[in-house]
Amino acid sequence: MSSPVQIWRQHKTLHNYLNKTGRLIVWTKIFVAPSGFEHQTPYLVGMVQFEDERMPSQIVDCSEADLKVNMKVITVIRKIGKVKAEDVIEYGIKVKPVL
Amino acid sequence: MKIKVLGTGLTKFGELWDKDLLDLALEASLESINESRITNNDIDAVFVANMLYGKLTGQDHLGALVASGLGLKCPSFRIEGACASGGLAVHLAIQSLLAGTYKNVLVLGAEKMTDANGPQITSALMGAGSEAERKAGLTFPALYALMAKAHMQKYGTTRKHLASVSVKNHYHASLNEKAQFPFEVTEEKVLESPVISSPFTLFDASPITDGAAAVVLSSQSTQPGVFITGSAVATDTVDLASRQSLTEITATKQAAKKALAQAGVEIKDIHLAEVHDCFTIAEILAMEDLGFCKKGEGGAFVTKGHTKLGGKCPVNTSGGLKACGHPVAATGIKQIIEITHQLQGRAGKRQVKGANVGLTQNVGGTGATVVVHVLQI
Repeated sequence: MSSPVQIWRQHKTLHNYLNKTGRLIVWTKIFVAPSGFEHQTPYLVGMVQFEDERMPSQIVDCSEADLKVNMKVITVIRKIGKVKAEDVIEYGIKVKPVL
Repeated sequence: MKIKVLGTGLTKFGELWDKDLLDLALEASLESINESRITNNDIDAVFVANMLYGKLTGQDHLGALVASGLGLKCPSFRIEGACASGGLAVHLAIQSLLAGTYKNVLVLGAEKMTDANGPQITSALMGAGSEAERKAGLTFPALYALMAKAHMQKYGTTRKHLASVSVKNHYHASLNEKAQFPFEVTEEKVLESPVISSPFTLFDASPITDGAAAVVLSSQSTQPGVFITGSAVATDTVDLASRQSLTEITATKQAAKKALAQAGVEIKDIHLAEVHDCFTIAEILAMEDLGFCKKGEGGAFVTKGHTKLGGKCPVNTSGGLKACGHPVAATGIKQIIEITHQLQGRAGKRQVKGANVGLTQNVGGTGATVVVHVLQI
């Protein structure tokens, strides 16, 4: 996971990505995770087309059955990975469906 | 370009608990030097491909480590380009020979992966991806799964098409004593194995592997033999999201075009190929992007048996990454060795009759680096 100073640097630009809407192009459900994400399995990650760029993002607040190709999604701020009690909590951008 | 493959050395691929990286590196290196019928003193430089050892163990400085293990004091370099490290090392070695800097060089790829646990190795491999991909919790199976689903949506590729790659490559591996999984699997077995990242099951993925591969290359020999006549590298964005398309690896097209032109051949002249089937969709994309079939028809091309031994262009006769195994930095060099042995007529039960032009395609990441070589006899 990232160091405190890396987290501090990255958090300064998070607001640029908030409240953006896009279209879900494709997604996968991950059952085998990298370090720091094991506790989330299985989880959904998709490729989202925004107006100006394409981005990978975790998809939250829904089940796979809710997802459709080209459905509208919106960015939200969420905790990234797992941290120990004394660690700095890292936040990042995820998307949820606009239902 | 005519760079001769003087000698080859290849360890068993698999979960080799009794051997460390240096054991594997020296075994493959010494075998290739012995086969070359030259002495250690004739080696002018060593190129060592490795992606993960420093990250997993803390041991870097592999160029000097391997050279000193061989008793050499010549220049030695470590090359990293994710899973294309081996192909990149071969390419750089060829450039040094063409420049006239060296006459004979040893090119080694080695990886010791099975000492790490699943999450550790999954995270280490994601070093080949982008920061945004790591933050999203993506893995390489998941990135290629996204490419597979995009291909399925756009071209109607099916789970059975994907499974046919795995079934075919396991059949080829069953004829290869160096393979990690030298046994056949059925389509049902592939489809019913546990899901790792939808739509992929375990049998859509190449394994975690220990192994090493080495070749001695020379610019001096004019005697008959196997020559590398084309060598090209192309790059693209590290992050999949920024690519023009999710359903092609553009760098494959670019590298193949250059390598084929250097060799003076066309794709229809290729008798067999070793391609980078890290996941089943990757072999389907390779068939299309190299030009063996039209875009969108890769799944059917494999399912019809065109790429199986006995087909019109056998692909991954070694068993590929899927079943021979994928010690990542060794893979690009193992591909060169498989084609060399085929062109020399020494591939045993998996020999492709009459083969005299072969191609290798080695991919780093999801296509950020691609190396293509053409070999001829």
